Amino acid sequence: MRELQELSSKLLSEGDVSVVIGYEEGPRGVRPAFIRTPEETNRLVFDHRAVQNLAVYLSPRRAHLRKRGRPAVVIKGCDARAVAGLLRESQISRDDVVLIGVRCGGVYRDPESNGPLSEENVADRCTGCDLREPGHVDHLVGELPSEPPATDRRKSRIAGIEAMSPEERFDFWSSELERCIRCHACREVCPMCVCERCVCEKTDPSWVESSPHLRGALAWQITHALHLAGRCSDCGECERACPAGIPLSLIKGKVNQVVEDRFDYRAGDDPDVPSPLGDFRLEDDQEFIK
Amino acid sequence: MSLYRPHLVRIVDLIDETEDTRTLRLELTDPEVAGSFEFKAGQFGEYSVFGSGECTFCIASSPTRDYIECTFKKVGKVTAAMRDLQVGDTMGFRGPYGNRFPLDEMEGKNIVFIAGGIGLAPVRCVIWNTLDLREKFEDLTIVYGARSVGDLVYKRELDEWEERPDVKLWQAVDPGGETPDWKGEVGFVPAILEKAAPKAENSYAIICGPPIMIKFTLPVLEKLGFPKDRVYTTLENRMKCGLGKCGRCNIGHVYVCKDGPVFTATEIEALPPEF
Amino acid sequence: MKPEKLYLTEAGLAKLTHDLREAGARVIAPVLATESSSNPVADYREIEDAGRIALGGPLPRLSLKEFFLPPTEALLSWRQVKGDISLDQPSGDYPRTVVVGAFPCDAAALPVLDKVMGWDYRDDPWFGRRKATTIISRACAVKDSSCFCPAVGLSPDSLKGADILLVPVDDSGNNHLVEVLTPAGEELVEAHRDVFESPPDEGKADELRKAALDRASENLDIEPGAIKSWLESNFEHDVWADIADRCHGCGACASVCPTCHCFDIIDEPEGIDRGTRRRNWDTCQASLFTLHGSGHNPRPEQSARYRQRVMHKFAIYPKRFEEILCTGCGRCSRACAAGMDLPEVLRTLDQLASSSEKQTEASSTGGVG
Repeated sequence: MRELQELSSKLLSEGDVSVVIGYEEGPRGVRPAFIRTPEETNRLVFDHRAVQNLAVYLSPRRAHLRKRGRPAVVIKGCDARAVAGLLRESQISRDDVVLIGVRCGGVYRDPESNGPLSEENVADRCTGCDLREPGHVDHLVGELPSEPPATDRRKSRIAGIEAMSPEERFDFWSSELERCIRCHACREVCPMCVCERCVCEKTDPSWVESSPHLRGALAWQITHALHLAGRCSDCGECERACPAGIPLSLIKGKVNQVVEDRFDYRAGDDPDVPSPLGDFRLEDDQEFIK
Repeated sequence: MSLYRPHLVRIVDLIDETEDTRTLRLELTDPEVAGSFEFKAGQFGEYSVFGSGECTFCIASSPTRDYIECTFKKVGKVTAAMRDLQVGDTMGFRGPYGNRFPLDEMEGKNIVFIAGGIGLAPVRCVIWNTLDLREKFEDLTIVYGARSVGDLVYKRELDEWEERPDVKLWQAVDPGGETPDWKGEVGFVPAILEKAAPKAENSYAIICGPPIMIKFTLPVLEKLGFPKDRVYTTLENRMKCGLGKCGRCNIGHVYVCKDGPVFTATEIEALPPEF
Repeated sequence: MKPEKLYLTEAGLAKLTHDLREAGARVIAPVLATESSSNPVADYREIEDAGRIALGGPLPRLSLKEFFLPPTEALLSWRQVKGDISLDQPSGDYPRTVVVGAFPCDAAALPVLDKVMGWDYRDDPWFGRRKATTIISRACAVKDSSCFCPAVGLSPDSLKGADILLVPVDDSGNNHLVEVLTPAGEELVEAHRDVFESPPDEGKADELRKAALDRASENLDIEPGAIKSWLESNFEHDVWADIADRCHGCGACASVCPTCHCFDIIDEPEGIDRGTRRRNWDTCQASLFTLHGSGHNPRPEQSARYRQRVMHKFAIYPKRFEEILCTGCGRCSRACAAGMDLPEVLRTLDQLASSSEKQTEASSTGGVG
């Protein structure tokens, strides 16, 4: 923590950056912090509650943040997947940002949790994490903690849905998506939702109905998932942000699994590795377009 | 009847004002509604094409006529759909909504109308209203400017006002926007107004146009001696309901749809800069 | 009207629920949405029996607003046959509804919203549903770090918006003192007199009420009047950019808010010759909310949009309708993925307001010395 605070203070006082985007104590657990002076760097914290994916603040849609100067961003290995995604798609350039990588021992599902990490409270993405030490960063801080506990919670939920008949599956998703109020919080917190104007807000023609009825909600969530295929960094922020508690990471998890099975690809932290939908290989299995 | 249910209106005429601006003349299809329908100069309506949605425009025709006209530019989904309609087609109309220009107060006074581009639409409503009741008003002066000759709207009416002895028209286009046969002024509206120099005594001004034009014209009016509470304009903000409910047109505590769209320069000055 | 006091046991509530349904009413109550005991979540839902009512909390994810201003509703439908268009609108008959166990912060929002829904033009769907619904609130014993109802002039046992108030009389929370508050409440009690007992056993009602108020008052101490004046005279201020830095502009706060009422009106074709005009929830937090067709946006940045939300609640609405457009339920803070916290923002504004007041005093007395 001290190392992170000192580094941030140095970056700010030397004028490398005008803001450090990290984590601080908030009213309900840890939350994103925008630190603009060396004196405030003592507010920075990093622990299991640092759930949020701060890469979202680098998105070109946050032009107002960019106007306030060059940022340094605290990123976990999993967040580095999103940063790599933004770089890969030329949404940001590497010089726009200073990346402060933190070695990570896993995070909770919910930033308000406390106590030791356990199978119950650990975030789904932490299981089998191979990016506890993010690469492609400018600074790397912290000691490497021990591995987080594993959970097969999401895997078994996805398996449960896969085992359903198409009718049962439709009923399951209908009952979940009936609660969708189309606030699009899932989109706004998504670091990979970079479109200036979302397809579901295009009106001429309306590709996706904007009403919060089942038809509209299904169309939107399917569109969102498909637009993230091969791009999703699996940060789970969409599900955490949903005020209606829809298990969106089951959809994203499933799509990620399909991409991995078919293309042997998982979004990683290396921006130079092309994504399957942004690349063409002769050896790709093309049975689906025969 | 539900607040949100529009009257059905039929397009009885269609005039292309410029390349991308069109006027539709509408008549209420239900004779009972038509018989009791009334509005005042300055009010607006929600026009709809079923399947595309609703759109907000001022009523550009005078309440002294027995039809409703709207003039619009194709900018989005609804206006694009409105452009596809033909004479005889049916649309929806909700309204009239909002406040009005205080014409009764202006009786016996001079009025100077100042407009830029498509901003002539709401002003044109008042122009015809006063011309149709001509004896109630003193001097009427119109200062109208557009970017180019092709951007002038209501050309036939401009010609008519040019001919009429009971109204003084100054029409202008921005430098570079003139054609070889252009007989009007060349210059920006504030400068033309200064040249026209209507007297401020016993007078009102009604101004509508792009924000930049309004910004530079208000000081000219002040210099000419027009008190700010006798300078009226009409605001356009994005609206949906028109009924003071949906929250979209708030500027500070003002609901443009109910407190407006007509405001005095004094009132505008008191608003936060969010329009 | 002096509230009539009665008593309702757990069994009485079960019978009341049953009898209301028998009489054709829809009964809405907070129910648990998940079985998980570690992190229980609740929703207001139609119930078939009282066994499902989660009287003790937690506060439902969405407020009661969804039953009066639904997330989406049809305003009218149209049909085109050749050139002729015919319109049809919903019947305007709304199902007789009784809300059992409304949280006072949700009930209080309804009369607040009546003001905007009823000034000049009366919004018929809103008032249709208001008229068809009787609200039985229950004094709240839930409180977490985001609650602040006393700071906006309410309380965990607020009567505002309720036709009947239930106050728990013991620690079980299942037996209630009943306060009948309105003619609609009286009518309901008259129709179901047999489930209520009289005279009431007031038990620990007063003690529990006071304890709940004390707990809820701990979180926030502000002067809404001073905040209103400060907001009105400090439209442009650096504080907004700093507050809004972390805000995603997602509008989850508005969705869960009992008083946010902004909406959109859109057309949805269903085939080429028919379709529905719908009213959908919308939010001032979205950049498209105020975007003009010309591309001009009066609120181009999130800081301006967040300011609008706070202004609307604590300055615009109070000025216009003499009501704060906030009931202190704290849902916005709980729902926020970025940790935006309205109580924290209000505390900041309160400090700015009181320091600017002091400055004004200092400058007005400065000349004398």
